[in-house]
Amino acid sequence: MEQHNARTTVGDALPEIQIPITLQRLVMEAGANRDFSLIHHDAEVAQSAGASDAFANTFFLMGMFERLVRNWAGPHMRLKKMGPLKMLNFNVVGDTLVFKGSVVAVEPAESGEKCVLDLCCESARGQTTTCVVELIKEK
Amino acid sequence: MSDVGWGLWGSWEQTEACLNTVVGQWTGPDPVERGSIRRWLEPKEFECAIHTDASAARAAGFSDLVAPAAMVFTYGVAPYWSPGDPPKRIDDEPTQIQIPVIFNVPAPCNKSFATSMEIEFAEPLYPEDIVGCTSKLTRIERKTLKVGAGAFLRQEDTYTKQTGEIVAVAQLDIFRFYAELGDSA
Repeated sequence: MEQHNARTTVGDALPEIQIPITLQRLVMEAGANRDFSLIHHDAEVAQSAGASDAFANTFFLMGMFERLVRNWAGPHMRLKKMGPLKMLNFNVVGDTLVFKGSVVAVEPAESGEKCVLDLCCESARGQTTTCVVELIKEK
Repeated sequence: MSDVGWGLWGSWEQTEACLNTVVGQWTGPDPVERGSIRRWLEPKEFECAIHTDASAARAAGFSDLVAPAAMVFTYGVAPYWSPGDPPKRIDDEPTQIQIPVIFNVPAPCNKSFATSMEIEFAEPLYPEDIVGCTSKLTRIERKTLKVGAGAFLRQEDTYTKQTGEIVAVAQLDIFRFYAELGDSA
């Protein structure tokens, strides 16, 4: 868990997370998040949908973005909104994904600070996913 | 397996008839509990005590150990088999996750993938909460992409807990399209 600064400013960067996508991770993820669509663990079916291999599902991406902001903002953070989350490219077996982002707006809120963050996921092919997040960092 | 397609087949007129109607409603089979939270955190290597330790969660202002917000999707997934359902046979089509705009809404399409999602969170999920989901088809936009001709369909999912409180409201955009069987698109 990261240490959490008391004050947030526009431009603050979140500590990056790297995570390799293996078929084992995708299978573990499917079992844990209950999305057993074949495109997320069967290469042939994934290829018929235009991907090069089995690819990570939406629930995994949202969970990773939640991990990214939770690590940065700490236990007192309240997640208010995720999205639009846009899938620009597939995140397939063999990719090492990098989740990162920065603060684009901060304003006072009744219980602390309301922050808006621009987040993204990148692979060796470039940006694969983008996500805007709104959260409250409570005092 | 290269000829596998999915989704409810029908005409675009049948798709249009579903616009702004409830296309799916169910209750997740499992209550929120520590074990499923741990298994969800595991493949993401997600470490945060509020999801594993009730005292840490209370210290952060929650009333109990709290599930990650994005887990609402997981607790809201319909069961793949329930007591009373017929047994699966070897030649049955694989059961897919319940995405009503794919499997309950007819369209002349045999493939699909998610393109965008947005979700607003309200009440946190605590142990023993049960999540229900109501889905509506709220938008249809016909489009041709490089994978094939089809349409973007927007599904609005309202997740509630057993008390009736809203946990989250999500907007999911799915691109459904037609691909020739055996075509790698």
